[in-house]
Amino acid sequence: MATKTKSSAQRDTPKWEMVIDLDRCTGCQACVIACQAENNIPINEESAFHEHRAIQWIRIERYWEGEFPDVKARFLPLLCQQCDNAPCEPVCPVYATYHNEEGLNVQVYNRCVGTRYCGNNCPYHARLFNYWEPVWPEDLRNQLNPDVTVRTRGVMEKCTFCIQRIRRATRGGEAVEDGALQPACVQSCPTSALVFGNANDPDAKVTRLKNDERHFRVMEHLGTDPSVTYLKQVDVDG
Amino acid sequence: MYYRRTLSDAQINRELLHVVFTTPMWWIVIVGLLGLVVGLAVIAVGFMFNQGLGVTGLRQPVFWGFFITNFVFWVGISHAGVMISAILRLSQAEWRRPMVRAAEIMTVFSLMAALTMPLVHAGRAWRIFYWIFPYDWSRGIWPDIRSPLIWDPVAIFTYLISSSLFVYTALIPDLAVIRDRGKGTWRYPVYAVLSLGWHGSPHQWKLQGMAGILLSALILPVFVSVHSIVSWDFGVSLVPSWHVTVFAPYFVIGAVHSGVSAVVTLMVIMRKLYHLENYIWEEHIDALARLLIVVATGWFFLFWLDLVFSLWTREEQEMVVWNLRLFEAPWGWLFLTFFITSYVIPVPLWLFKRVRRSFTWMLWTSLLVNVGMWLERFLIIVPGLVRKGPLVFDYGTYRPSPIEIMIVVGTLALVPFLLLLFSKFFPLIPLWEVKEGQKLIDHVQLGNVEVPALVKEH
Amino acid sequence: MVDAAHEIPPLPTHQEVTRDVLARFQELGARYWGWVTVLSFLFVLGILGFVIRLTCGFDDRSIWGYHVATMSFIVTTFLAMPLISAGLRLMKAHWRRPLTRVTENMSITGLLVVLMLLPALAALPPLEGRRNIWFDFPLGAPGVWNVLGFGNLALVGLALLWVLALPDLAAARDHLPPSARQRVISWASLGWIGHLRQWRVLYSASMLFGAMYLLAYPLVQSLLIADFHAGLLPGLKDAIAPARAVVHGIQGAIAMTIVVMYVMRRLGGYERYFAVDQFWALSKPLLAFSLFWFYFWWSSFITFWYGRLPGETDLIRFLVLNSYLGPFIVSMVLNFIVPLVTLIWSPVRRSAWGPALVSVGILVGSYVNEVRTYVSAFSIEDPTLHALDGIPPGQWPEAADVLIGIGGIAGCVLLFMLVSKIVPVISMWEVGEGLRLTKVRRYLNRQVRVIAKSH
Repeated sequence: MATKTKSSAQRDTPKWEMVIDLDRCTGCQACVIACQAENNIPINEESAFHEHRAIQWIRIERYWEGEFPDVKARFLPLLCQQCDNAPCEPVCPVYATYHNEEGLNVQVYNRCVGTRYCGNNCPYHARLFNYWEPVWPEDLRNQLNPDVTVRTRGVMEKCTFCIQRIRRATRGGEAVEDGALQPACVQSCPTSALVFGNANDPDAKVTRLKNDERHFRVMEHLGTDPSVTYLKQVDVDG
Repeated sequence: MYYRRTLSDAQINRELLHVVFTTPMWWIVIVGLLGLVVGLAVIAVGFMFNQGLGVTGLRQPVFWGFFITNFVFWVGISHAGVMISAILRLSQAEWRRPMVRAAEIMTVFSLMAALTMPLVHAGRAWRIFYWIFPYDWSRGIWPDIRSPLIWDPVAIFTYLISSSLFVYTALIPDLAVIRDRGKGTWRYPVYAVLSLGWHGSPHQWKLQGMAGILLSALILPVFVSVHSIVSWDFGVSLVPSWHVTVFAPYFVIGAVHSGVSAVVTLMVIMRKLYHLENYIWEEHIDALARLLIVVATGWFFLFWLDLVFSLWTREEQEMVVWNLRLFEAPWGWLFLTFFITSYVIPVPLWLFKRVRRSFTWMLWTSLLVNVGMWLERFLIIVPGLVRKGPLVFDYGTYRPSPIEIMIVVGTLALVPFLLLLFSKFFPLIPLWEVKEGQKLIDHVQLGNVEVPALVKEH
Repeated sequence: MVDAAHEIPPLPTHQEVTRDVLARFQELGARYWGWVTVLSFLFVLGILGFVIRLTCGFDDRSIWGYHVATMSFIVTTFLAMPLISAGLRLMKAHWRRPLTRVTENMSITGLLVVLMLLPALAALPPLEGRRNIWFDFPLGAPGVWNVLGFGNLALVGLALLWVLALPDLAAARDHLPPSARQRVISWASLGWIGHLRQWRVLYSASMLFGAMYLLAYPLVQSLLIADFHAGLLPGLKDAIAPARAVVHGIQGAIAMTIVVMYVMRRLGGYERYFAVDQFWALSKPLLAFSLFWFYFWWSSFITFWYGRLPGETDLIRFLVLNSYLGPFIVSMVLNFIVPLVTLIWSPVRRSAWGPALVSVGILVGSYVNEVRTYVSAFSIEDPTLHALDGIPPGQWPEAADVLIGIGGIAGCVLLFMLVSKIVPVISMWEVGEGLRLTKVRRYLNRQVRVIAKSH
């Protein structure tokens, strides 16, 4: 009885989580582009990469497995892990980043003064700093997403799990159907490697997948308790 | 020790107040040049505010660079004032007398230089008052006291306020002297207000002495806490090579090392510029150098613990940072320079009495220490961020931009600039301390030699 | 500083001091032998406890935890005492003079520590697979290096004791009636006649051995922490621990000095040498080092606690919050809180009983803290893991452990009492030197002491 009320209470507040199936990921970067368009991220020109100041809320980390010639390219999409025990949160002097009740690690741009401490303390390097005032070409100005703040220079930013979509979907207060709410990266993934959902819902796809036997979380030994679970078949034969 | 010169009160007044009542040419030239450098730095800051932090050399994994290094450096220098003043006052070390004022005021000015650094380094410096001054009427939210970046301003402002009080308390009797000698000029009304009606009654002296002792004792915990808290900016984070338990005392003793060296530098330059040969003797810098040997060796012990226990874990990330620090260019060369200049050259040299009693040698060795200690802070802070972390391919080295260098050089000019300005209006050597010291000199006949002696309680 | 309004009693002369100290030194009464018998009995009890442990062998490491804790307690209190003598001499503190010899005589306990080290080393697990400071530089590590390190400390301590005792040994040689003891003293005085060159050698040697002791002590504490504490606790990276042990050592040494002075005052009638001045002067650094110890502990605690790394959180639970909570509270109260709230008051510092009472508490707290540090480490079954496997329970002492603890401490006191009948327990020449350098003068309307700077 007691457990039942507890679980229904938990069902009332969603806990947003993501599962990334690395066996499905082809490294096509569609999620990166979708995120760029959805979240008003400034255009990363070549110079931005040369300066090491490119802003990507989700990035594809490529790594190699095996020795040449038996070498395989592997991809790992890395985004803010929305840690439940986030190292970036307590170090912010102005509460610009905090944990909300839906398990999201929220960034408040207006509060941010740009000490960049959170960026140092994020083991995933998911936090990015606006070194310059973002500028868009004239013909792209009207393309900006009206639901998302355009950040000024001097503030930190990072993946929000497309919180604007979550807000829109849950505005009425009724429960969101599993799969109906998708961040831009999940929506655009051609191989459905990314799955998003409410982990407090026992029937949700994300809940099922995160307990898959292939599951692991990145840098678990740091105790950050990430909300992003990765799936990867470990090739026993090598 | 104190048999060298017996000075009359009139002579002390005349010699120590000389620069307050005259304005030599060199003073104008040096102040002008330093002011120019400071002015350039102000322009650089303005340019950076206008353009954004893109004009610095900071890049993706390296969020902190020259500014934070410089911040830690100046907080370190500021530890000298209390080290010299409060500790030596409480332990009744006689040789402190001529150097307390200069050391204390250097504390105040280097804290000011330090404070500018986190301000200009912030992404939106004009909003930093959210962070330092806790007020909630516009946002409905207080600053997060869990953040070490809140502990920092609290500690530093406490230190700044208490050390300013400390300076002022010790300044009052001297202000009254200037007031009395400036009768009929603009000085009289100004110093009359500043000296708070001091006329040297026994009651006033008693209060002043008590205030000095109380402030010394109260300032000591603040002194230890300031650099500990600065060290916890790094220690409590998860960055490999920053997450080290020994950081707090390691930073504090390193700060004392660099701060006392800075006092030595200051003493030698002051002696030369203001012709203070009657007040700053070989014995004084000898005593400072002996103190430095102990401090530097303690610092070396903690440095060694940091190194051993980082390698001890044999964790990949720790190894990556130490490999970077020790063996990869340019970090390895910087590390070598830091190690040689902050310990290997000066400390063995200080073991020789001839070196300890030579103003030239002490000037250069103490400057070397501070070159090394600046690099030490740089090597603590930056390699931990530059390293190639797991799952980060977008890593890269850090190269300071001209703007950053200009601002750092500006703070290096700011402190001597302020010190010179201060010396124009207030004596850098406390008149009353020197006079009191003269009163406590005595001699004891031992066999057929007369040995200098001090009046002491035990 | 000139406020000492009291009239200063006339200072004794060097001759009076020599006569008085030698008279006490000479007597070997029933009371002395009574104490020696009691201490010998307790020491034999300790050996008994040790033999009980020895019969169990070294396979079960956990039974040796209290042995190591006792050894470390001796290092942290008795063996740290020469640091006070060396440090105060380097600082040229005049009030040190009556109390230096007490601290130097304690360096004899280094012999007992070296003996206790051998079984402790035998109980250590092999280096393979666990964290250690020896890396790929074994050459008999850790055993050989530990013996060298501890042996070095013991030898330097004895050298310091011997060199500084020479003038007093010579005085005893010349004043004592012929006996076996006099012959030993006469041999030990190495033909000291007070020649100017001999004095120069003595001053340089005392500085040299003092500096060597100051350098050797942190090394020994680092060895203790690295091999007997940190190397056995999986996942521990606590770089400050050796420095904290050194600070704790100095605190323990000051406390032990105060206690010994107090006991000698009450039972031996040494009020004249251990005046309130000495208690007053020593209780200031005692307060400072109590604060330092807390600060050094807090530095590592906040790093672990704020970092929230699971491995480090488990270690905090084990060492502080769960298994060893009781010992932790006891040592925190006795080593930090009690000294803080009592010694900040000048009237407490300016008495003999106040510092002595606080010091007894500090010594108890120190022992408990050593138990927390070393017994916990020795109770870990598999030190090759990368993190604790669950939170192991705390380990209470057994009868043999209690015997080893009592015997070890009694043995140290016994050694001190024995050596004090070879080397006078008050440094006559240092006190005499101080008297020569001190003059009482009238300053304004008060009597003040004037102290010559002899350099």
